[in-house]
Amino acid sequence: MKIIKLGEKITAANDREAEALRQRLKEKGILLINLMSAAGSGKTTLLSRIIKDMKDTRIGVMEADIASDVDAVRIEALGARAIQVHTNGMCHMDAGMTAEAVDALGDDELDLIFLENVGNLICPAEYDTGAGKKLMILSVPEGDDKPLKYPLMFMESDALVISKMDAREFFPFDMEAFTDRVRILNPDIKIFPVSAKTGEGMEALEGWLSEALEEWRS
Amino acid sequence: MDLRYKIVETKERILADNDQAAEKTRAAMRAQNTVFVNLMGSPGAGKTSLLLGLIPRLGDRYRIGVMEADVDSDVDAKTMADAGVRVIQLHSAGLCHMDADMTARGLESFGTEGLDLIFLENIGNLVCPAEFDVGADFRMMILSVPEGDDKPLKYPLMFTVSDVMVINKIDAAAVFDFDFDAAAERARALNPNIEVHRVSAVKGTGMDELAEALAARIEKIRKGRV
Repeated sequence: MKIIKLGEKITAANDREAEALRQRLKEKGILLINLMSAAGSGKTTLLSRIIKDMKDTRIGVMEADIASDVDAVRIEALGARAIQVHTNGMCHMDAGMTAEAVDALGDDELDLIFLENVGNLICPAEYDTGAGKKLMILSVPEGDDKPLKYPLMFMESDALVISKMDAREFFPFDMEAFTDRVRILNPDIKIFPVSAKTGEGMEALEGWLSEALEEWRS
Repeated sequence: MDLRYKIVETKERILADNDQAAEKTRAAMRAQNTVFVNLMGSPGAGKTSLLLGLIPRLGDRYRIGVMEADVDSDVDAKTMADAGVRVIQLHSAGLCHMDADMTARGLESFGTEGLDLIFLENIGNLVCPAEFDVGADFRMMILSVPEGDDKPLKYPLMFTVSDVMVINKIDAAAVFDFDFDAAAERARALNPNIEVHRVSAVKGTGMDELAEALAARIEKIRKGRV
């Protein structure tokens, strides 16, 4: 008897679509970054700061949410190209949905495209969206134990932003224990402690983004 | 129209099966007069801290058990056990929510005889857990101040299905632009009956009031059963 493992087949089809999107964007010299985190970690705030700081980089943003368009409105107000994507109740974006969103955004005259994924530390980690880099955020108020509970997200990400550093006095967050837990899962991950509000640490993160774009185009 | 094939709405079917299993759990809990609460919130919203604050405030009235659901790890169960709480850790094998069947199996392994009140600490996520009735008597969700007051707009279902909304980490309100009235109004626009509380689970602010409100709710449920 033949046994079909549905989960694997879905993932394989998704991986093919992701690879096709990655190639298409590479040829155009556009770096797609999959930005992931829990709800309320500061994805939109971080992007707003990056858009304000990196004026010479042409940035497009795809806001994925289950409902509302509050984030796309915020990004558009900054003068960046933005679209809102509704996932119809789904807790993540897959490669097909992302390709469709890139079509809607338009892939001309852009250097960086950010996909602001659905706020969630679980499902988005499982799906390759076709991005060139995966960037995740963990905010200080969420706690230093999160790598223990949501390991896949930390394993899959190329870089990790520790956000809301300005709120550290209010929350017990053991930076050393946290980075140790992250590095056990992913020794190569780049870690950037930042406060998008005060600007602390933003330069290092934006330097990494510029380098990643240069590397992508070479 | 001549339909040559059958169309199955998988999601509806899954949810219908789930609802059946949830009803079974609710009936079983009713039979032994246990009140079962589904606690939901984002990762780090303070679910474990809230329970650690509530248990001493309700522990003199009820025999309490906690089921900790996580994708991985047993840090929360350890925290609970260290505090002397009867606890079981459930692993969801990568799934982003608990469904009624998984919950029923968890309750069975836990052994719920002799417990008056059981909390399921659901997986940290504002999306998937909202879709699944686990068989609880009521649903309580946490929104923490650092997450922002716009969350009801983005994750409407969670606020629509919850009976109680706890705004946590109010002691940090000074560093975050959080409009308490706007958050409550947005939640009430989705769900006019939602009961809203403001607390700091760690500092204890508002926790006595929340514990009393929960006790009143629990008593109402128990009275409705006889």
